[in-house]
Amino acid sequence: MKSNTNSSKLDYLLAAPTLIWLTVFFLVPYFIVLIYGFLTPDIFDVKFEFNLDAYRQLFEGTYFRPFLLSVKLAITTTLLCILIAYPVAYLIARASDKLKNTLLILIIIPFWTNLIIRIFSWRIFLSYNGVLNDILLKIGLISQPLEIMRTDLAVIMVMVYVYLPYMILPLYSVLEKLDFTLLHAAMDLGATEVKSFFKITLPLSLEGIFAGVLLVFIPSLGTYLIPQLVGDQRSLYVGQVITYKIKNIPRNWPMASALSFGLLILVAIFLLIGYILLRKSKVRGVV
Amino acid sequence: MEEIRIVNISKEFDGFMAVDGVDLTIKPGELFSFLGPSGCGKTTLLRMIAGFETPLNGNIYIGDQDIIELPPYKRPVNTIFQNYSLFPHMTVWDNVAFGLKVRKTPLPEIKERVSEMLDLVKMSDQHSKYPDQISGGQKQRVAIARALINKPEVLLLDEPLAALDLKLRQHMLIELMNIHDAVGITFIYVTHDQGEAMSISDRVAVMNRGKIVQEGPPDDIYERPSSIFSAYFIGETNLITGEVIGIEDEYVQLKCPMGDGEFFEIDSTFHFKPEIGSQITVSLRPEKIAISRHKPKVEDDINLVKGVIEDILYLGSHTQYIVTVGNHNIRVFSQHKRVYFDDAALDWEEEVWLFWHDTDSWLINELPDEDRMPAEGKAHFPKFKKHSSVLGDRI
Repeated sequence: MKSNTNSSKLDYLLAAPTLIWLTVFFLVPYFIVLIYGFLTPDIFDVKFEFNLDAYRQLFEGTYFRPFLLSVKLAITTTLLCILIAYPVAYLIARASDKLKNTLLILIIIPFWTNLIIRIFSWRIFLSYNGVLNDILLKIGLISQPLEIMRTDLAVIMVMVYVYLPYMILPLYSVLEKLDFTLLHAAMDLGATEVKSFFKITLPLSLEGIFAGVLLVFIPSLGTYLIPQLVGDQRSLYVGQVITYKIKNIPRNWPMASALSFGLLILVAIFLLIGYILLRKSKVRGVV
Repeated sequence: MEEIRIVNISKEFDGFMAVDGVDLTIKPGELFSFLGPSGCGKTTLLRMIAGFETPLNGNIYIGDQDIIELPPYKRPVNTIFQNYSLFPHMTVWDNVAFGLKVRKTPLPEIKERVSEMLDLVKMSDQHSKYPDQISGGQKQRVAIARALINKPEVLLLDEPLAALDLKLRQHMLIELMNIHDAVGITFIYVTHDQGEAMSISDRVAVMNRGKIVQEGPPDDIYERPSSIFSAYFIGETNLITGEVIGIEDEYVQLKCPMGDGEFFEIDSTFHFKPEIGSQITVSLRPEKIAISRHKPKVEDDINLVKGVIEDILYLGSHTQYIVTVGNHNIRVFSQHKRVYFDDAALDWEEEVWLFWHDTDSWLINELPDEDRMPAEGKAHFPKFKKHSSVLGDRI
């Protein structure tokens, strides 16, 4: 964007409230959290003595399992979301204008209800005497109720349910802009429907996939609420471990801080990999 | 090379016949145009040949093979799309190579043929650019290369020049003709621009309301329109209705009402024999009429009417006069290639004589019907104000 000195001064002025807000309420707390990581734990609080124990434990792999579980969960959730969201987004993008709006609203409606309420309704749905088991028993698919609640499967199901809209919407916005005559052109040049999808549609929607992955993968990595409410208590994810370190007495604030920064670095690494992959694929033209 | 036969093909969209029982044979190697106003069905017809629309009924043969059941990717045709539809995420080279790659051609052959094609369309030095880095005319060339590399039997062109500006359009038109000569395959060209169709085509099919109104070489359609629609759509014309009052060996006499009870007479050669007393239409091209303020010496085979100049439009290469003869507004084109007969230019409200040869009035066995006029044609009859002063500001 071109701007002369005057208007760029104005730009800064206009951006100032946001910048100040973010500095005070985002950077400063982050900095405090960072400092806590290098202090000594106490039963309820911290002692202001320099201590590297938390980071030592982090790098020695004491918490390797929760990190591994979180990464596995985030990858599974993201992949399932892509696989489910892509056809849905494609369908909405190609629907008539009227139907398009209806379908988009249907996807947005769940946001109107509080997340916790929705997770609790999943508990009712999945529980031993719940709706799902009732239905499956009635139609005779199973002879005794399934134990779905409090399993890793339940976590994945609810995760996909919660994060699906975040994958559908960016994919939709890319596919909606896609010029479908390009597919005609590809078919005209000898490509079958399947080939035109992989050579044209998919590469041209990579940016949407990338945006969706950001929106799904990063929050899934630090998820706490869903495994806490529907998950197997033997599988602890990083988000849960961090909470326990603060909640359970004796408290360990420095460990919670170190784990949070471990998560942050992990996210940064994944982002960097994704960014490099996207640049390498030389996606052009769309967006 | 194979002939293309379109047999009784129809296409319906929500109860509307977009293409209505078209029969057509296109000769091998021909540059054939579908010409008509928007909505006439020309693009639908093209898309049925390409395989993007399924016809209601009918068949399309290329040689002996009926291609109607084949999906687009199995048809021996390739299309140049209206907005080129180049793949934005691929370089020029990759775009051109696309057809060969999906057919799993060996890489050395791909390389050779792509560079051959890029040479043909003069784009070799741009091969590593992306579509958003090249101009409209260059995109057009890439689209042509991308289609021709597959060695189709037929190249379909859907208004290929519509997105280009006038000068570039004229230039690309000549290039297209050169490319057609170079590759020698059949081109089917869809356009609403009669100038494009006339200059580029071996033969033209004029379409209206899903039907072919007339087909033939461009000069044939221009000089001998079979209907009011083709007379009106191709070029400009004056339509005058009259009653047949006499038929001689070589010409008919028409009595044309001027609206105020008066009549003037037109003689015309004829290509069908009208009945005495019937009403028919004369199509009279504006450039065939001579205009003069002095009454010329008329010979037997010259028509002569007197009128008043209503308006003068200076158009650079020629001037258009609107001459009122009774309730007719007759348009006359006069080229600026000679000095005026009588030393002074014609002026508004001047009485003038219009005269033309018998063979230049062309009979059409139809009466004008506002409803059936092409939209473009209607706009050619504006209501002119008297004493419109400045020449340039209307044009």
